[in-house]
Amino acid sequence: MEKAKISARQLFVLVVLFEMGSAILVGYPVKLKQDAWIAILLGMAGGILLFLVYYRLFLFYPNLPLTSYVQFIMGKWIGRFIGFFYIIYFAYLAARVLRDFGELLTATVYTQTPLFFLMALLILTIIYALHKGFEVLARVGELYFGVVYFIAIGGFFLLIFSGLIHLENLRPILENGLMPIFKSVLTQNLTFPFGEMVVFTMVLPYLNKPEKVKKVCISGIILSGINFTIACVINIATLGTGLFIRSPYPLLSTVSKIELANFIERLDVLFMLYLIIAGFIKVAVFTYAAIIGTTDLFQFQDHKKLTLPIGLFILLTAMMIAKNYAEHIEEGLRVVPIYVHWPFQIIIPLILLGVAYFRNRHNQQEAVSIK
Amino acid sequence: MKNLFACVLLLLSTVTLLSGCWDQQELTDLAFVMAMGVDKGKKEKFDVSLQVVVPASVASGQNGGGGQGSPVIVYKSSGNNLTEASRRAAKQIPRSIYYAHTKIFVISEELAKDGILDLLDALDRDAVFRTTTFVTIAKGGRAEDFIATLTNLDKIPVQKFIKTLQATERMLGENIKVSIDDILANLIDPGKEPVISAFRLTGNSKKGTTPQSVVTTKPPALVTADGLAVFKGGKLAGWLTGNEAKGAVWVMKKMQGTDINFNWEGKKDAVSTIPFISKTKISLVTKNGKPSMNVLIETSFKLSEINVPYEVTNSMSMDVIEKKTAEQIKKDVERSIHKAQSLKADIFGFGDYVHRVNPNIWKKMKGDWNAQFAKMEIHVKVDAHYRSAGKRNNPFWNDLKQ
Repeated sequence: MEKAKISARQLFVLVVLFEMGSAILVGYPVKLKQDAWIAILLGMAGGILLFLVYYRLFLFYPNLPLTSYVQFIMGKWIGRFIGFFYIIYFAYLAARVLRDFGELLTATVYTQTPLFFLMALLILTIIYALHKGFEVLARVGELYFGVVYFIAIGGFFLLIFSGLIHLENLRPILENGLMPIFKSVLTQNLTFPFGEMVVFTMVLPYLNKPEKVKKVCISGIILSGINFTIACVINIATLGTGLFIRSPYPLLSTVSKIELANFIERLDVLFMLYLIIAGFIKVAVFTYAAIIGTTDLFQFQDHKKLTLPIGLFILLTAMMIAKNYAEHIEEGLRVVPIYVHWPFQIIIPLILLGVAYFRNRHNQQEAVSIK
Repeated sequence: MKNLFACVLLLLSTVTLLSGCWDQQELTDLAFVMAMGVDKGKKEKFDVSLQVVVPASVASGQNGGGGQGSPVIVYKSSGNNLTEASRRAAKQIPRSIYYAHTKIFVISEELAKDGILDLLDALDRDAVFRTTTFVTIAKGGRAEDFIATLTNLDKIPVQKFIKTLQATERMLGENIKVSIDDILANLIDPGKEPVISAFRLTGNSKKGTTPQSVVTTKPPALVTADGLAVFKGGKLAGWLTGNEAKGAVWVMKKMQGTDINFNWEGKKDAVSTIPFISKTKISLVTKNGKPSMNVLIETSFKLSEINVPYEVTNSMSMDVIEKKTAEQIKKDVERSIHKAQSLKADIFGFGDYVHRVNPNIWKKMKGDWNAQFAKMEIHVKVDAHYRSAGKRNNPFWNDLKQ
């Protein structure tokens, strides 16, 4: 573990930016058409319940990251084994998100630029920031939070004043009943982005006031979930279900529709600004979790030695995980949520919580003081 | 020393990453396409014409008026799909073709009759082309002639198109702006069919392409807005012109302003009123399982002209004008609804409305919606409210010496 301390506000900002991150770009359950926003709200509710599981685990071991306390719970060797897989999981997700952003940039603005160079620029910046430590990342988040909100609120009002929001596009509500929505929540919206809060189990011990973890994280999840829902509603209302389904990045299509007073138009740059900020934070948090997990598991003295190798490993993984955008998205929507997210976000934490509960049922105090 | 070396190395490595902007495009290397026209090809499927701006003739210098030559050039190319045609155009154009500023996409009537579906994916998918670009139909002519016609109020012809469209939308209410997004949304929506504003070229299209045509006060060729083209299944199915087009615009909730004229005591079009605020409400009524639609139009109008003696200051007599205006609007609207029903094309989106408010009925009807629409009962009610009579009370007709 690094010797870093972050404030409650910084953690809150990180949670919000991380959760909105790439979800607001590619995470819409478009198959549900005009009911997509309901699935996002339900996903958020599920995400809060999941976070309570991670929070309970944190309460048992408030000074340790996931990769450490898993060794206390499951025993040294099984624990290390699981911890190792969590590191791979975080690194893989960092690579996935990095690829998301790379693909988006090559498809929309940098049409001639090779994917590799766009992703390399982003990951090199991230490597540099993480080399300076987690506190730096937290401060970057704090700095850009205002920018993101400025863009979001500005864009929101411009959309309203352009007369683009047609709320009637949201009707009829629940045309196909609730079943497709529940299915979508369980297979997609719960795990992405809300279940990804599992990565914060690695950084919660950094908070300078541990008693605030629950309040800060849950309010962060709620705020980002509401933002995500609003974004979804606006996308459907602006684009109509047809274009909403056809757009790989609905928010980009929405923003590029803004035309106000004959000169406020082509505001794609707002979207790109958001994209770079959110991509930076999300990839950085995942990368940091992988780095600090490795430091912890293999007992390195200093995480700085690992930033460059793991960063490059993530860059190369991002290049290799899929041969084109179609494959990348299909993996992301069909395979990853069920075979990767479910075990790491839901099943393993629940087992850990069960075992930890039985181990610590006699005296909680002892559990906390194990170091 | 070692640190300095590391710093220099780092800086150099950044240079290799940052300088190689793959996507840099210099302004002087771009050909800005302002308008794009597509005709039915002679040998191949499409003849594409691109109106490219000549920056030197448009730039307004200090000695006024800018350069001498024509402000735009039209390049032609052909191909079996849009990409092929547009890439082949590179053979003639000395710069790389840049579509982000395309304002208008013109489709010829002939091609529209064969269907426009093959044009749309290229426009929808391209990363640079904007799907907010307006689409128009060149009625009774070739799209190529349209975009080659020069105009004098606005230097760049495409601006004329846009402004004419905006002006008629505001003043006459016979056209609406339709973008590629709108067309696509209506094409895939089972409860709505697209309409596209039509333009007609009047005069001599050959003479209209020379810069001389701009220096006369009576241009030899003019591009004129002319009603709406109705599409069905991606093919041109019919036209709405004049008052029919107005009626359709009322129902589509797009009415911004228009003029309503009616006869008075045998004098043709003696009274003219100008509605300036309007609101259209559509509702679905089901009676014995049989759905019908109600269209309620509420509008406020000003008196614009009255060419008979009349008591304008008397509110009772103005009630009659209100009634007459409402009747006239109702007549236009009913005519346009009948026309749409006879074309079996639901351009108003009634099906969409049924889908939103009553998904259960919609499930039964959506299979053959256009046939259902054609025989559906549609009731129109118009409430017109008189607001003002301009800066005079009674007209001079009242005091005219006999």
